[in-house]
Amino acid sequence: MRFNLVLDLPDVPGQLLEALEPMGRLGANIVAVIHQRDVKTERGTVPVQITIEGDKETLDKVMDALEVKNIQIMAVDGVLRKEQITTVLVGDIVEEDVKETVTLLNQMEGVRVADLDLKMSDEPKNSATKIVMEADFGQKKEILKNIKEVGDQKGFLVINEV
Amino acid sequence: MKIIILGFGAVGQGVARVLSMKKEYLKDRYGLKPQIVAVTDRSGAAVNVNGLDGELLLNTKSETGKISSYPEYGVAGISSLKVLEDVEYDCLVEVTPTDIENGEPARSHILKAMGDGKDVVTSNKGPLALSFQELASSAQSNGVEFKFEASVGGAMPIINFAHENLAGCSIQSVYGILNGTTNYILSRMANEGSSYEQTLTEAQEMGIAETDPYQDVEGIDAACKIVILANSVLNLPVTLKDVEVEGISRITAESIALAKKEGLLIKLIGEASPDALEVSPRLVPKGSPFAVEGTLNVATLKTDLADDVTVVGKGAGSVETASAILSDILSIWKVRK
Repeated sequence: MRFNLVLDLPDVPGQLLEALEPMGRLGANIVAVIHQRDVKTERGTVPVQITIEGDKETLDKVMDALEVKNIQIMAVDGVLRKEQITTVLVGDIVEEDVKETVTLLNQMEGVRVADLDLKMSDEPKNSATKIVMEADFGQKKEILKNIKEVGDQKGFLVINEV
Repeated sequence: MKIIILGFGAVGQGVARVLSMKKEYLKDRYGLKPQIVAVTDRSGAAVNVNGLDGELLLNTKSETGKISSYPEYGVAGISSLKVLEDVEYDCLVEVTPTDIENGEPARSHILKAMGDGKDVVTSNKGPLALSFQELASSAQSNGVEFKFEASVGGAMPIINFAHENLAGCSIQSVYGILNGTTNYILSRMANEGSSYEQTLTEAQEMGIAETDPYQDVEGIDAACKIVILANSVLNLPVTLKDVEVEGISRITAESIALAKKEGLLIKLIGEASPDALEVSPRLVPKGSPFAVEGTLNVATLKTDLADDVTVVGKGAGSVETASAILSDILSIWKVRK
């Protein structure tokens, strides 16, 4: 059988090799690799499409190994495994708030903060923070609710996705 | 069809203009001969059971500011309720200014007309957002038509569209950009990188935002529309106080810049579904149907059979809003003729 994977790799040397390593080691055949370094996501990561072939057991092992290596698997056979969730907070954000919010999000099962961007303003209350998360598919609603709660507590304006 | 227009501001004047512009068309195409038998404003009324002249109504209003100065048929100081009591008519067009405290005087006008067995068309959000169920049940028990397409999204078809064109579909939720002023401000901020205060001032100078922009920028206007959609399209018996509202006054240039970096825009979105009733700034992808600019309105209906259906249109404007009122008048005419 075949798996079509979409991985999300950081744009630094050696990442593709790192992702391919368990496939070779565990005995899966690599059918195709589509890797265009100049096509990047907004965050600067590179989406890579890989098709691998093997028996179910081998492929499952490969998936486990990728996860152990903390490699982001965005989709398997066109089915999204991870989705990206973006939120923007407005308000006087200090280091402590950022730390707390990120920790809280990272503590949620299946959620990883993938990107954080701050834009400070001369007027502290106008400052903004953008948080990009990757989460297991289907968790979006709950995550957005949690962020809203944290934001309300801290007096931030929370701007979530539709 | 004898029509009374209560309120002669931008929308009321638009109705008079459209009826006079489309006179031949309405007669040839639908056999409809609308007669405006009374118009009221703060000064009083103009009343003629044989029909008032549309052009003369508009000229009188623009020259004197008072409809009661209408030659020969002007009546100063008469109340709208008295006009409804005394004048013979078929259909009330209620377009007095919106009041979101108690929905008056529109609510009383509408109930009075319904109680007298008259059909009602309105663009007035106040009474709908505060007393939708009362008005709808009054219409039902009196056996009259009650139409309010113009109250949401101006010219953008949404309510009748959901009921007629999407008949047979269950509608699960509705969300949209329902306020043109805030969409203009947010679009300008995204394009120019300007601050909220600066952009609001500019919008006020251009006449897009009102001198007191509170209802628009704090999301109250959009919340009224979400209540109307929740009641009329989703059958949820909610009122204005049930909506969680956050406006755009806390949106900063910094937050818009960060969203932009991620390929997103910030828009003021109203959402109605069985588990959410809210108006808040939200992120939408650039290039999506929600990335509309200027004062445009847009709404998406999530349905079971047709999946998502999105409509876009002008959310305000005298003649544009009157087009929605005219379509309501025509659908009443089709039932009554």
